[in-house]
Amino acid sequence: MSVSFPEKDRKLVEEMIRHYPHKKSAIGDVLYLAQKHFGYITPEVELYVASLLDLPASYVHQVVTFYSMYLKKPVGKYLIMLCDNVSCLLCGAEDLLGRIKEKLGIEVGETTQEGKFTLWTVECLGACEQAPVMMINDKLYGNLTPDKLDRLLDSLE
Amino acid sequence: MSGKEKKTVKTVIDGKEYAFPQGTTILEAAKSVGIEIPHFCYHPGLSIAGACRMCLVEIEKMPKLQISCHMTVDDGMVIHTNNERVKKARKAMLEFHLVNHPLDCPVCDQGGECNLQIYYMMHGNYISRLRENKVKKTKKAFQIGPHVMLDQERCVLCSRCVRFCQEISKSNELGIFQRGDREEIDVFPDMQLNSPYSANVVDICPVGALLDKDFRFKTRAWYLESADSICPRCSRGCNIEIHYNLNRPWKNEGRRLARLKPRCNLEVNDWWVCDEGRYSFKFIDDDNRIEGPLVRTDGKARNTGFKEALELAAESLRNSAASTDVEIAVLVSPRAANEELYLLKHVFSEQLPGTRLVFSSATPFEPTEDDILRKKDKNSNTRGAELMGLTPDSAQVWSLSELKDAVLAGEIGALYICYHDITGLPEEFSAGWAEALERIPLVVYQGTNTCPTSEKAQIIFPAAAFAEREGTVTNFEGRVQIQQKVFEPLSEALPGWQIIQSLGVALGGSYEYESAEEVFADLAKNEPAFAGLSYEKIGSGGFVAKDAKA
Repeated sequence: MSVSFPEKDRKLVEEMIRHYPHKKSAIGDVLYLAQKHFGYITPEVELYVASLLDLPASYVHQVVTFYSMYLKKPVGKYLIMLCDNVSCLLCGAEDLLGRIKEKLGIEVGETTQEGKFTLWTVECLGACEQAPVMMINDKLYGNLTPDKLDRLLDSLE
Repeated sequence: MSGKEKKTVKTVIDGKEYAFPQGTTILEAAKSVGIEIPHFCYHPGLSIAGACRMCLVEIEKMPKLQISCHMTVDDGMVIHTNNERVKKARKAMLEFHLVNHPLDCPVCDQGGECNLQIYYMMHGNYISRLRENKVKKTKKAFQIGPHVMLDQERCVLCSRCVRFCQEISKSNELGIFQRGDREEIDVFPDMQLNSPYSANVVDICPVGALLDKDFRFKTRAWYLESADSICPRCSRGCNIEIHYNLNRPWKNEGRRLARLKPRCNLEVNDWWVCDEGRYSFKFIDDDNRIEGPLVRTDGKARNTGFKEALELAAESLRNSAASTDVEIAVLVSPRAANEELYLLKHVFSEQLPGTRLVFSSATPFEPTEDDILRKKDKNSNTRGAELMGLTPDSAQVWSLSELKDAVLAGEIGALYICYHDITGLPEEFSAGWAEALERIPLVVYQGTNTCPTSEKAQIIFPAAAFAEREGTVTNFEGRVQIQQKVFEPLSEALPGWQIIQSLGVALGGSYEYESAEEVFADLAKNEPAFAGLSYEKIGSGGFVAKDAKA
């Protein structure tokens, strides 16, 4: 197998497996770790994870394809996830979306050429009190305005 | 059910009270009293998925409809399998199942044996309310393994094939990938559905999503007739159905036998059959079938008709027997039916006393074996031969190598070969035989297909293939099972027992069996291991011969 975790992450996997009564239950955690380490999850990575957890590769592929937040393809350094559900739309998410598209020159689902930004629209992020909201990687940004959005995007290296 | 007697419970189904063993599912209980509950995902050989929701029934005092494949019968339960509420639920479920179904029945090979089609006519029959576009899937008419074609759009996501690969073949190639309306059956990227049992997923697929590459577009399912038989490909003796087409010779290039399907026998093969066995029937309609009795003189074979060939064989064998320097040998085949073996044993010992019997269970096939079905011995009737004392376990019977030594020493004057293609065997068995055969003054070959060995014979008798004659075979555990005659033998071919009987008559004996069943009746009388058996007793499930376990 050509992909594998470094020693440190392999220890983490063992730790994750210990959290559950069945080895197979650690699949969510291990896949997320794999995504962090490899950037996205290819069939090769699935085979590796399957070997770590004694699972059939097809089972791992079922889990990976079921959850949309396991990345099957590479994304930019910053993954922008803009909510396009009702609260955010009422508070101006549509304008924000247009603004991002124009500023970055990409459509939803695309990545900028230099590989810095990827734009997604997502379902409710559970923060309607701060609508409109978006996430960039793991961080949530609320009460967005076009100005705030500009400043935010410009501040990212 | 073995072990302790199960408690029985009284349950009312559709207004009638029945007694069932406790723990029976409602679906199975209803089936046992003739009430069919429609279902896609339930299969008696697999775990319960509860995925298709087609088998919903109403149980009184339960607020919601229940899936009958999982819910078990109980005392005092009152079940309705076909009232208005159930019918409405079924219709609604069918509407869901058909939302993204392409409705390409006219070009779908499953047409005519498709549960979706049947259930729609029985339980759906509505005008579509769908205005949206259907979700298109990626793989249509896509080959996912050596034998299986995948069509994702037709799939109802019952997960039977996935469970089969997990639970029975344990090869895990298939999975349900993606989510919601994009869900689809597929193999893991770049993998093949290539387990030795792969084509069973075609049998259990209730719709046209998984199809048999070999059978696809050959003929329509409704043109096929079916007969029960036993797979000839190994000593397991899996129960099979032979699907054949005689009335439309313009289909499938005139091949009579269209496909083999497993037939459930819980004592032998459950619901399954291996791919080696499933595709082992090609030789029956092959171009190289031996169609008439041939006599070869000066290298040229000529069809003489049975009478002349038999007389010539009898005369030549007699001449050989008259010589004190050489012996006559008969190479017995573990692929021949019990009836044929029995006659072979008797005709030769009675008409040509001192004939040397030779036995070999070698085959050209790879000796694959696993703990699912496949057995190393690739013959259908080795055990039958053994029970009749025709294997080298008995001192008078030679092995193939003993025969070769005798041939090379010039001690064999005539050799009667049944079915074996000696020169086509693996090297360890066939070595030296091409020359050895040349050194035997008379070689008689009885078989189904022309082969390098038959090419060396001076007299050739065309034998019927297993599907062309009635007969019994004994599997590795001693279970005697019937292979029905499905259709007439090709051209002039005759059932093996009939050829041996005619040869016996030509040699001066009197044998007057009218059918294989009559031969078997005598066999049961004279062979202690088969005592008390008859075709009637063997039935469709087979019967374990006496002393077979020893």
